[in-house]
Amino acid sequence: MKPLSERLNDRLERGSKRSWNGGEPPDWLTSPLQAPNRDPEVDELVTLAKHLQTNPHVRANHDFAEMLEKRLLMHHAVLSRKPPMRHSFFPRLLRSRPAFSVALAICLLVLLLGTSVLIVAAHVSNPDNPLYLLKHWEQHVQVSLANSPENRAKLNIKFARDLLHSLADLANPTHKETYYQAIADLDQLVSGVASTIQALPAGPDRERLLNDFTSFNVEARHTLRGFLPQLDVPERVITTDELGRLGDHVPHLLSTEIVPSAHPNGQAIVSISGDNIQPGAQLLVDGQIMQAQGSFQGNLYVLTTNWSDSWHPQYIGILNPDDTVAQTTMITLKGPNDGNGSSGAGNSGQHGNGNNKGKPDKTPTPHH
Amino acid sequence: MEAISRQLDLARRGESEALSQLYRQFLPGIFGYIATRVPDRATAEDLTSDVFLKMIEGVSHLRATDEAGFAAWLLQIARITVAGYYRKREHQPALVSLEPGDQEEEGVGNSEANLRNYPSLDPAERAESQDEWNSVVKAINTLTEEQRQVLIGRLILGYDVATVARMIGKKANAVKALQFRALQSLHRQLGKQGYSERLNHVHIPQRGGKP
Repeated sequence: MKPLSERLNDRLERGSKRSWNGGEPPDWLTSPLQAPNRDPEVDELVTLAKHLQTNPHVRANHDFAEMLEKRLLMHHAVLSRKPPMRHSFFPRLLRSRPAFSVALAICLLVLLLGTSVLIVAAHVSNPDNPLYLLKHWEQHVQVSLANSPENRAKLNIKFARDLLHSLADLANPTHKETYYQAIADLDQLVSGVASTIQALPAGPDRERLLNDFTSFNVEARHTLRGFLPQLDVPERVITTDELGRLGDHVPHLLSTEIVPSAHPNGQAIVSISGDNIQPGAQLLVDGQIMQAQGSFQGNLYVLTTNWSDSWHPQYIGILNPDDTVAQTTMITLKGPNDGNGSSGAGNSGQHGNGNNKGKPDKTPTPHH
Repeated sequence: MEAISRQLDLARRGESEALSQLYRQFLPGIFGYIATRVPDRATAEDLTSDVFLKMIEGVSHLRATDEAGFAAWLLQIARITVAGYYRKREHQPALVSLEPGDQEEEGVGNSEANLRNYPSLDPAERAESQDEWNSVVKAINTLTEEQRQVLIGRLILGYDVATVARMIGKKANAVKALQFRALQSLHRQLGKQGYSERLNHVHIPQRGGKP
């Protein structure tokens, strides 16, 4: 036997006018009590359905129907006379294709986020910031997209200037590593500009770029020199190096000779050869300032300082009165009774400014 | 099917005749739906007018291309209109008439309608008929929206199960089940009020007449 819902539906189907091709259904359908096969439960529901279907309350009044039709047509005529609202294709597309709207919204959101991140990254100056890599990438892309060497050089000068300005926040003992990185980046940019200009053929463009670069160099030297007093010795060393590469007059040491006195814990004479050593320059032993009296003797700057036999310094340097610093690892440590013979205490074969990573066996007593 | 599609196309383009035909075809269903949701005829007529005015205003943006889709769209407008009517009523303070006897007649529209619908009935019978219909409206308002739409589609608009299924986005079996549960629920509700008992004895006027 069919379920009740099916039986009810069958009865309603048979009773509907449509099923009888517009003719009236037989009496037993409109009055189920006369049905040949009685189904009391279904009969009750069919009766209720017929009651709802034929109830005058659910039928619109003829006059009302006619009046409303006239009213609707008038309303339509009024609407038709109004100038049509201009609907552009895009809003209609958004309304008719919800998936397109969602996709568009997501694209816009991603674009907005991406742009925001790029803008934020462009203003990042701290190499510790994760966005600094993104900024580097942005700059690299911009330089790659530049359509001529002149434009590439101009961009590099611009980026170098930005970096120079950001160094002001890093020139302090709390940002040592970051400062090293920023100076290295600056050096890379400056070298890039210099080699680009060098490769350019002579002409007004090259002259213009050269002028820009020269003025940048002056600005950079002035800025970096301003940082020197607030830096520790290692950072002063790399800053002085950078100043040298920018064409500034900075000290440069070639070699050092140390002759300790015969008395243990006595004094030593330190003779330093190099360029741009200024009168009054202080002695640095492994990055520490030593109290010493210095004077020029020929090409040498000779200093007398307290010394211990147990000291074997790796770096000897000078601190000029203008705060520039130079160091060397080319050190000759002579015995107290050695004449001109060298005992060969040089710690490395390198000349020039060291990086001050080495330490003496025993730290000299500093004097500030 | 093709005829209604063509009518819808013409209506979208603003053809008055197509709009009139659509109106005439769907007035019984929409009026029937609203009349089973609100207690008095005058309100049902007002709300029906609102629904068809909205139809005129919105038909140019209509996406439906078949009868079931169009019926679903109109019933959706009707549902929202009725919901708006009840929402407004919630926020309106109850009006108490100062005229004696006013409260006995809930609405002039109902009295007139009863007079038109039951010209042979005396005033007492007409009042009884209105009370009975109020019970039906209350019972129908307890149904779910889907059950109501199935009843309107099947009983008032006279659609077959397949068309109603497309209209409400369900399968045919689900429509049959909804139809059964709707009638069963109504029967139960009305039975509590002794209405079903009277159904078997009260004369049911035959369907016919204009729209």
